[in-house]
Amino acid sequence: MNRKLLVLLLTLGMISAVSFSADAGSKRDGRPDGGTLSYGEYGRPATLDPVTSNEMISLRLTELIFNGLVGINEKQEIVPELAKSWKISDRGRTYTFFLRKNVTWHQKEGAGEAKLFTAGDVVFTHKIMMHPRTITPLKVRYEFIASVTKIDDYTVKFTLKRPILNALAKFSFKIIPSHGPSNRHFLTREDPFAQSPIGTGPYILKNVTADREIILVANDNYFKGRPHIDKFVAKPFADQNIMTQALMFNAIDMIVLVNPRDIPEIQGDKRYVLQPYNALSYSFFGYNMRNPLLRDKRVRKAFTYAVNRKEMLASFFNRQGTIISGPFAPGSWAYNLAVKPFRFNPEKAMALLKEAGFTKGSDGIMAKGGKKLSLTLKVPIEKESEAVKRVVLAFKNYLKNIGVAIKVEFKEWQSWKEDVFLEHDFDIIFASWVFDDSADISSLFHSAEIGSWKNNFGGYSNPKVDSLIVESKLTLDHEKRRTINRKLHALLADEAPYTFLWTLTNYAAYHKKIRHVAIHPYKYFSFADDWFIPSGSQK
Amino acid sequence: MRLSAVKPIALVMTREIVITTLLLLGVSFVVFVILYFSPGDPFSVLLQGQMASEEARMGAREALGVSPSWYTQYVSWLVNMFQGNFGTSIRTGLPVLGELIRTGINTLYLTVGSLLVTLAIAIPIALYSSVRGETVFTWPLTMFAYVISALPVFWLGYIFIYFFMHKFNVFPVFSGTGAKFSWLYSLLPIFVLGIGNGTTSEVIRYLRDEMGRVMSEDYIRTARAKGASVWKHSFKEGLLIPVTEMIAAKIPFILGGAVIVEQVFNWPGMGRMAWQAAQDRDFPVIMGIAILAAVFVRMGSMFQRVVYVVVNPRASQE
Repeated sequence: MNRKLLVLLLTLGMISAVSFSADAGSKRDGRPDGGTLSYGEYGRPATLDPVTSNEMISLRLTELIFNGLVGINEKQEIVPELAKSWKISDRGRTYTFFLRKNVTWHQKEGAGEAKLFTAGDVVFTHKIMMHPRTITPLKVRYEFIASVTKIDDYTVKFTLKRPILNALAKFSFKIIPSHGPSNRHFLTREDPFAQSPIGTGPYILKNVTADREIILVANDNYFKGRPHIDKFVAKPFADQNIMTQALMFNAIDMIVLVNPRDIPEIQGDKRYVLQPYNALSYSFFGYNMRNPLLRDKRVRKAFTYAVNRKEMLASFFNRQGTIISGPFAPGSWAYNLAVKPFRFNPEKAMALLKEAGFTKGSDGIMAKGGKKLSLTLKVPIEKESEAVKRVVLAFKNYLKNIGVAIKVEFKEWQSWKEDVFLEHDFDIIFASWVFDDSADISSLFHSAEIGSWKNNFGGYSNPKVDSLIVESKLTLDHEKRRTINRKLHALLADEAPYTFLWTLTNYAAYHKKIRHVAIHPYKYFSFADDWFIPSGSQK
Repeated sequence: MRLSAVKPIALVMTREIVITTLLLLGVSFVVFVILYFSPGDPFSVLLQGQMASEEARMGAREALGVSPSWYTQYVSWLVNMFQGNFGTSIRTGLPVLGELIRTGINTLYLTVGSLLVTLAIAIPIALYSSVRGETVFTWPLTMFAYVISALPVFWLGYIFIYFFMHKFNVFPVFSGTGAKFSWLYSLLPIFVLGIGNGTTSEVIRYLRDEMGRVMSEDYIRTARAKGASVWKHSFKEGLLIPVTEMIAAKIPFILGGAVIVEQVFNWPGMGRMAWQAAQDRDFPVIMGIAILAAVFVRMGSMFQRVVYVVVNPRASQE
């Protein structure tokens, strides 16, 4: 369900610099050290470095191994990490970071003395990231940086091409050591560094076993204090049911993302904690405006009125989610709560179709000018497609009730992507967007984003929407931007380029012996160095 | 061994190796062409998570130094393969050969093990019914074999896991935790694939017919009349050769079943790797797996030919 289609930029409120210091060594917070946490992942990570990796499993692991210049705390505020403070000057065009001293890179067994983290590493990371031969999703996100200069060993200056809103949050990209990659200029997946990374983070990659279990051990020299739990083990699973059963039989202690179907089973068991965390993602039915019948917004609205989203969410996902009305994830500050989702109303749907000039033919299908409302719905086959199947079949039935014939075509992921993003050969699709920036939807609905492999796959074009998007992007004022986005939300809700469905609540499940668990909604393990296991349960 | 005994084997082996080489060429070519012309681009897996423009896609290919035409890609792959270089996975950047060996051993273990399970079930039933004919015992045994052959392997896998967990309270999924007796868990997938690979009934029928045919041969009648051991005379022709034929013929089916069993039991084998690679269009990995699977299949057939020639040296002249 949560197939990653798109990742945008993370933006957060700007927070002034607070300097805090914690010396390497124990955290001295009275919580016990020790124990092992093994967690289940559905699949295996491709690479373990923060530059070439591009899927969630790797992202979670790099969160344990690496640090950025800045990080965020549990309240979503920006806090110092490798930089202990910073200065913003030249009207938001220059960011100078003052780096933490005495931070050491992870030491591999048998290697010489631990190397110190310095400004050179920051410059190196940026250079590697932007090198044309490095293939990384980060490149497009950091094009706003014009140059990086090392002032001295512990001061580094970034010059921006133009001031941008919430730039500080973007300096959370992970820093890699200049002595890490074997190629000093660019990083490919074939570089040994991609499989045996060296970071500054709370956990050190120890080894990957023959069964592809990833073993991480606590970094005794972590600059925020040694993490409490001694060892993290990431275990790959090929089947979600088995992964849940592995938890129930104590073969693992945690599942980062529980299959919605297994939620009741875990919920009923007192040994486990089921912890929801907001996902910045939503599912939708998207319409192709290249089909003249779908270009009429009354038709798209009729479809939205015709489906009972509440019923679907209740019966297919145990109500574990929120129905949405517009193009932002509900966890986002840009979401407009004043806009209510259309209520299920098949009569209204019929009325809208009539208004648009459709009449029911002898075969029960609505038609206008000899053109029948008979449409193709293309659905990607996913790893776990059962719930998806139910949703699309329900959609088909709901639309049948208002005289629309839907032909469902399930397509393998890659060929589905070609049909949708390259050939534009579809009438309706079912898909989900996953964001890491909750507010930037410009690539989804701006008319400049129509074309091969661009995200406005439906070819939606509306000058009003375009101008609001541009306005929102240009403003540097957070409140103003919020107002614009709320307008944009209301407009797109009414335009219905998608039938917006829901954001599903993600659940992590873990054994209750693990304490003080806070989860970052996107990066997951950001606060894992504070988790602990009471001495009695460490085994 | 005398030279006269080695020579036919050598002859057969040479022939088999030549055939295998040609076959591998054919397999690699067909798989490559299918992959190349199937929708999806292996390099898009690298670009997932960004707004991949056409330029970025071309850039990724360029950065990896991939030539645009399919035949140069194929030829360079082929040249590398003959030098023992299967390339590196597009997804993980790891050398394909190392990964193949690592997972191939697990899969070999699973397939050979399950083949033995199949034979352990099929041979006694086949022998019993060919020697005794239709009796009150053979009919239910044969029926039993048909029923288990009809069970889909993924279903059987889940049923077994369910029973082990809820009735015996153990978690029977292979994991290299190093816990005591955890290796015992690995017997379960072998057993499941052994009975669930859908070939048991066929193996029984074939072995029974072959044994029955041999039993009615004149030389068995003569042996019987002489009071010699019927078993000794019928073993090679009636059991050994049919069994090896069955092994050779069923390897592809069992490899297919292994893909599913590996998913269900979290078995770190080639099938799981194939599944992942197919989703990512990771062509160096897919090609490597196709080649290795073809080698497995040919090894089975080579084994069968060798046994056949050892039993009947004249056959090498055919």
